[in-house]
Amino acid sequence: MIDLINMRFRDKLLSEKLEFRDENIEVLGLELKKRVNKIFKKSFSIREVDTGSCNACEVEINALANPYYNLERFGISFVPSPKFADALMITGALSKNMYPALMNAYELTPNPKFIIAVGDCAMDGGDFKDSYACMGGIRDKLPVDLWIKGCPPEPIDLISGLLKLLSK
Amino acid sequence: MKEIFDSIHYFCDEFSEDGNFVTIKTKQLKSLSLYLFRDLDCDLSNVVALRAKDGFIIKYLYSYPKKDYFFIVWQNVQDKFESFADDIPALNWFEREIYDLFGLIPLNHPDFRALPLHPENYPIGFHPMQNDEIKDENYGTYEYKDVKSEGVYTVPVGPIHAGVIEPGHFRFAMSGEPILQLEIRHFWKHRGIEKLCEGKEIDKVLKISQKISGDNALSHALSFAMAVEKICGIKVPSFAQYCRVIAAELERISCNLSDFAGVFQDAGYSFGASGITALKEDIMRLMKLLGGNRFFKDFVIIGGISKNIKPYTKEIIAIIKQVNITFDKYKKIMENSSSILERLETTGKIKKQTVKDLSCVGFTASASGRFSDFRKTHPYLIYSKLDFETLVLDEGDVSARVQVKLNDIKNSFKIIKICTNYISQVDKPKLKARYEIKDGEEFGYAQSNRGNIVHFVKIEDNKVVRFKPRDPSFMNWQSIQFAVLGDVMGDFPLINKSLNLSYAGNDL
Repeated sequence: MIDLINMRFRDKLLSEKLEFRDENIEVLGLELKKRVNKIFKKSFSIREVDTGSCNACEVEINALANPYYNLERFGISFVPSPKFADALMITGALSKNMYPALMNAYELTPNPKFIIAVGDCAMDGGDFKDSYACMGGIRDKLPVDLWIKGCPPEPIDLISGLLKLLSK
Repeated sequence: MKEIFDSIHYFCDEFSEDGNFVTIKTKQLKSLSLYLFRDLDCDLSNVVALRAKDGFIIKYLYSYPKKDYFFIVWQNVQDKFESFADDIPALNWFEREIYDLFGLIPLNHPDFRALPLHPENYPIGFHPMQNDEIKDENYGTYEYKDVKSEGVYTVPVGPIHAGVIEPGHFRFAMSGEPILQLEIRHFWKHRGIEKLCEGKEIDKVLKISQKISGDNALSHALSFAMAVEKICGIKVPSFAQYCRVIAAELERISCNLSDFAGVFQDAGYSFGASGITALKEDIMRLMKLLGGNRFFKDFVIIGGISKNIKPYTKEIIAIIKQVNITFDKYKKIMENSSSILERLETTGKIKKQTVKDLSCVGFTASASGRFSDFRKTHPYLIYSKLDFETLVLDEGDVSARVQVKLNDIKNSFKIIKICTNYISQVDKPKLKARYEIKDGEEFGYAQSNRGNIVHFVKIEDNKVVRFKPRDPSFMNWQSIQFAVLGDVMGDFPLINKSLNLSYAGNDL
């Protein structure tokens, strides 16, 4: 343990030293925070549901948690259950096997709720439109409030998408 | 090899050798398969069923780890075939998948339940690759292997999980703290990629291949492109080959770093996790600079690469150097922290025999004492010219897997340095070769961070008539059922993260 402390001081690896800054994110983020504070009383919770994506969208959504973006400081968090979520974030081409599970999650999310479709396949199935195993996205199944396009959308697209949703 | 060929001749009816691929047709399929799998210690790499003039053909691909050889064993099939899943457990999922998609019945299969087509959602008798119309719309149910006894309880998890991860169903049978049995049920994300790619143009399939498993987009595109290049006899310029290696290694670093962060996170050490995710972000931004997007999508094209990365050699070297320094610091922190190591060591042990039986690939195999890395055993691109040290450990626990991955990251830094030096000296970079599409069928393979990807491609009249991708996760998923035995539930996220399996690549 003492070794560890010594090493950290010797290498000057203190948490204060870890600074990451991306000016675009700061500008967008502060705007986002203002709206979250005003409309949602400082916290906006999202439940993410993957309905058959290629996992690139998940990688990018997870990237929102890294120190460059750190979405939680703007009051937005990804929550483990739909039961206390304000919005469902849906990725993927909606496979037949995931359809019942998605519908369960939708029903368990309390009203009023937002539906956010993320990625090119989420809305209409994208490249997987013609497949026997896909139901062609959520366009005609759920009331979608926002579609963040991109294959996959970059973290900054996700942030500006959320800002657009909360500006409505 | 001559002795081996002589013994194979003893079994076979037809024998042909083409480069490092040996194709064998035999009537004694079972004895030959067992000879390859047990005596020669081959790994099962892919099983492909395809339509033929008269019935179907099933091809089994075995890779020989001691020398750069592949064995393709094939048989003609009408509507049933003999199952070897009892003797070669790695065949279990392949045979069930073939039944679901083609309707070919594996006789005497030990576990004959539906796999990709969940019986609740697909009518009984629906086999998409067979092109038959479904007559009746009857649905079935899936039977789980329940453990029943006094004090034993079941914890079902999924398909939607707590974190931002992909869907899959896990059923734990618990007795007090320890896990008695874990049953996994997957294919929730089954998107029908094999059927979808039938009869599509090559470029279209290349695009879809990048969506098999998004984080390994480049490796999947690479294996598909290399299969097509082999069919058409395309020689990729050496500059493009070096660029492909740089891209592949950057992808490897990015994925391995995210695993490293995950291990910190699941061991309850968020400081380390957030630091490493920042490094991953640095690499992804470099990838965007080089390839135009953060996943190197559309970077690999048939015959070469789409973007010249030579102008950015300085940036590559600078960022890699900086990431390397910070990475070393975190590695040191992990190695010096007894509380983290205590979580990792002896957790999630996988035995060498399990790895062999299931033909596990990549770090899962290497950490359990069975070396698996196509960059060394079946070198492609320019990997045979590169010098790097791979690691094999016998422990088979989470700690061993983490060490293999960390060593892999180090290797990638080294390889990128060598390749960037090379491309910075090339005067007239040639990005792609000219080509003409020919008919034929080949296997293409590449090593992703999870293990080897093996794709089968068959082309007729400029169209892909059969594409059978095999993601490393398909081979490795079953091993998690053995890794968790005897551990506590709280260690499951850590074990899962250390195996880092792709749901999308598995489900296709």
